Amino acid sequence: MLESVFTFLFKYRPAIYQHGQLGFDAPWPVAATLIAGALLLGAALLAYGGARPHLGQRDFVVLTVLRTAIVGLLVFALLRPVLVVSTVVPQENVLAIVLDDSRSMQLADRDGETRGAFVTETFAASDSPVLQELGERFKLRFFRFGTSVARHDPGLPLTFGQSRTDLKEALHFVRRELAGVPLAGVVLVTDGADNATNDLTDPLLQFKADQVPIYTVGVGRDALTRDIEVSRVEAPERVLLGSSVMVDVMLVQSGFRGDRVTLNVEDNGRIVTSQDIRLAGDREATMVRVQLLATEPGPRLFRFHVPQASGELVAENNVREVMVTVDDRREKILYFEGEPRFEVKFIRRAIADDNNLRVVTLQRTAENKFLRLGVEDADELAGGFPRTREELFTYRGIMLGSVEASFFAHDQLKMIEEFVGQRGGGLLVLGGRLAFAEGGYHGTQLANVLPVIMEPSADPEFFRTVEVQPTPTGRGHPVTRIGNADSGSTLSWAGLPALSILNPLARTKPGASTLLTGRADDGGDVYTVLAFQRYGKGTSIAFPVQDSWLWQMHADVPLEDLTHETFWRQMLRWLVSNVPDQIHVSTPAEDVEPGETISMTAEVRDSSYLGINGAEVEATVTDPLGNETTHALEWTVEEDGVYRAELATSLAGRYDVRVTARHGDRELGSALRQVRVEQHPTEYFGAHMRAPFLKNIAAETGGRFYREASIEGLTEDVRYTESGATRHESHDLWDMPIVFLVLLGSIAAEWGLRRFRGLA
Amino acid sequence: MSIRIPVTWAAAAGSLAVMGAFGPGALAPPPRAEADAVRRGPDSVAPPPGRAFYFTRAVYSDIDRRTFRGWWSVDYPKADRQFVIGLKRLTGIDAYDLENPIRLDDPALRRYPLVYAVEVGHMSLTEPEVLGLRSYLLAGGLLLVDDFWGSWEWANFESQMARVLPGYPVIDLPSDHPLLHVFYDVEHVVQVPNVGLGRRGGHTWEKDGYRPALRGIVDRDGHLLVVINWNSDLGDAWEWAEDPFYPLRFSNFAYQLGINMIVYGMSH
Repeated sequence: MLESVFTFLFKYRPAIYQHGQLGFDAPWPVAATLIAGALLLGAALLAYGGARPHLGQRDFVVLTVLRTAIVGLLVFALLRPVLVVSTVVPQENVLAIVLDDSRSMQLADRDGETRGAFVTETFAASDSPVLQELGERFKLRFFRFGTSVARHDPGLPLTFGQSRTDLKEALHFVRRELAGVPLAGVVLVTDGADNATNDLTDPLLQFKADQVPIYTVGVGRDALTRDIEVSRVEAPERVLLGSSVMVDVMLVQSGFRGDRVTLNVEDNGRIVTSQDIRLAGDREATMVRVQLLATEPGPRLFRFHVPQASGELVAENNVREVMVTVDDRREKILYFEGEPRFEVKFIRRAIADDNNLRVVTLQRTAENKFLRLGVEDADELAGGFPRTREELFTYRGIMLGSVEASFFAHDQLKMIEEFVGQRGGGLLVLGGRLAFAEGGYHGTQLANVLPVIMEPSADPEFFRTVEVQPTPTGRGHPVTRIGNADSGSTLSWAGLPALSILNPLARTKPGASTLLTGRADDGGDVYTVLAFQRYGKGTSIAFPVQDSWLWQMHADVPLEDLTHETFWRQMLRWLVSNVPDQIHVSTPAEDVEPGETISMTAEVRDSSYLGINGAEVEATVTDPLGNETTHALEWTVEEDGVYRAELATSLAGRYDVRVTARHGDRELGSALRQVRVEQHPTEYFGAHMRAPFLKNIAAETGGRFYREASIEGLTEDVRYTESGATRHESHDLWDMPIVFLVLLGSIAAEWGLRRFRGLA
Repeated sequence: MSIRIPVTWAAAAGSLAVMGAFGPGALAPPPRAEADAVRRGPDSVAPPPGRAFYFTRAVYSDIDRRTFRGWWSVDYPKADRQFVIGLKRLTGIDAYDLENPIRLDDPALRRYPLVYAVEVGHMSLTEPEVLGLRSYLLAGGLLLVDDFWGSWEWANFESQMARVLPGYPVIDLPSDHPLLHVFYDVEHVVQVPNVGLGRRGGHTWEKDGYRPALRGIVDRDGHLLVVINWNSDLGDAWEWAEDPFYPLRFSNFAYQLGINMIVYGMSH
């Protein structure tokens, strides 16, 4: 609307003004025109000066300004202003027409018509007026893109069947294909639903450097009218058998505000839980936390599904699947306690029945006297706390109790820091009279690792009893979810007895998350009870209370209640979750389409978790039919111990990839990774037309964004470009309607005012 | 598994440490206010919080129906205080210095996961005491019993325990039980006589309790709920450790076994 008004008043579209420059092309001398104008203006002012006794000051100023404007406009028109623009030489330039051929173009969100129909009618039909007009000025080159990109023969129909939209690859391909030809611009026709998650910065910078504008044409609606989408599912990659799996599910909807829907969760085809959910407002996220139990080992495929609602346009985006690998192995945790404390007894008891956790306890019972519990053999920890990386890094988690910092050698503290930062292990520090700042850790390497800010206490006798409460983050965290009858934990946080703290920690670091806090029983200060942060590759946790065993022993806790056991199992399982092995295999995505390659990255480390570069690393791939093939992974050179390979797929189903590494005669170990290969409805997620995204592409490269309704402007705008073979054109501006309207308006106003004042 | 120290060395070190602890001033009488509090009875004594360990003595009803200055209070509080002195000297335990008596039917008992009882041969628990002790043990508490002798007292204790933990077996602790090696390596269970017999230097038994026994009551998971020191009197050995006429070998053993019981109870 605004653009139409502008075009009416100023004769040309705004885009032309953006590309053009103002000039004057008067057929007579400019000086003569200016002198004539000055004389005319002078005469008028003289006349008004003579009549000044009959005029007030204000009328004199207004009339003078009006007369000046009239003379000025006349002079402007007589100078013959022109807009000089660079325009393409007909048939000397190439224009790329890049068409989205992905599945989302099948969505019928255009009053019952598909997006693809618009693309076909406007850019693929021989009788299309847009194409005819463009064809008169440009040599047109057609491309289609989706998962892959290729030249398109305009005589052939588009399929709209590709399973992904990869804009980055499409733009790279077009630039490569048309390198060396006078490329005037690129017309990108798409809904903008790029799901290849690639950064477009590189190709856009290249087009911008070449001064080739990209004109984006957005197809489809900015929002689907009635749709529910399971937009995101976040679950841990691996968990221990028997663990609670906390999964965050995000639903986004439009047209169903406030409605109730059911979210079903299936584990390998069997519904394991259902939740009733009230949906938030249109296009607002509804977050749901689902708790599942990993009851069977191996790769588990969890499916999150909301049944299709009445009138819903797309059903394919109501489902998302996520694979979680359930490990049935025993994770080893080193618990070092600096003095005999009941925490040792009760923590050991809490996890005694957990077949997937083994806590090896080293307890200092007296000066230079240690008690070892849960060791595998007589040699384990025989020398006390480990003194080498190799020994310490065999554990996946470390718990430190009430032990002073000066107990450790400098190298041992550094090793603990590296255990978290480099090895990726979990560190849990408990409260106590010799822990945190009270244990002298202020200013040590561990102060960097821990999520809390340690400050030496002003009160050496500090002691507080605190009522423990979860933070909003803690309410849904897998460590602090209690009160679940399935796990035998019957008490809520408010029902648990107060604990005591000797370490006054109230502040956490900016990147830390606080799960539990404790308010002093005198109603005073609030202290940190449980906080964690990522540090390097690992996680550190601070739990500065000294008697969590009261959650087991206290008279207010029923005998049959398992809150203490549940809490500690959850805590220690989470502590060692996602701790990498010596051989760690990852893929950018857990699933690919049939025919795509699996990008496999393996990190190969020795027993001290330093990268090994000269290893022989092989991937044995078992396809869905059970056929095995072996592929070598190559060292990337960029990073120590990192190897990569691209593995081809052809069949749908699960591919098991076992990566083994050897260095000389030494076996370094192996790791298994499962990858699903199947057709995904990715195109139906976030399938609305992404206008802001497309506008950005156009703005970055000097192009413009068009909707279906404003497509007519495209044919005119693409003419004015600086790239390719161009020439300069001058467009008259003296006859712009705005000039005549302002001139007439000024004359009328002057005449009216004079008449009103009795001067005419 | 522990890092073992030869028992002879450990015993020698322990003796020296204990004797050192009882130097001049170590057994100074408690301040008047504390002494008055103890005389008023255990209900009025509330130790300050924040310590890792409180040597807690069980206050129970006995066959004479006395709960104040009854059989529970034999050797109290001197034995308790002297044992804590040795405990702190020989281990790294952050222990409260004084005694901590508490009734078995007091809910606050559950704040102290290890409790010591003497003369349990005279025990005659009320129903609230039975319930209190049962819930305490099943929640994870450990009861150490000491200083009861002969078959009659055993029978009484056994009948009381049958009320508290019906169906729970009593077992002999074998010589390789972790309790005997968790801090000191205790190779043999020694019969520790009362102070009179110990000073006299004759036989060490009382009544028909000729042979000492270290037994336990365990739950279904094998956890020790009760440690039974029968036909032996550790409490007197702690109480009279500084007495030059009380044999050193008995007090040494009493401290070793007592410390092992404490360290075991705080870690297993």
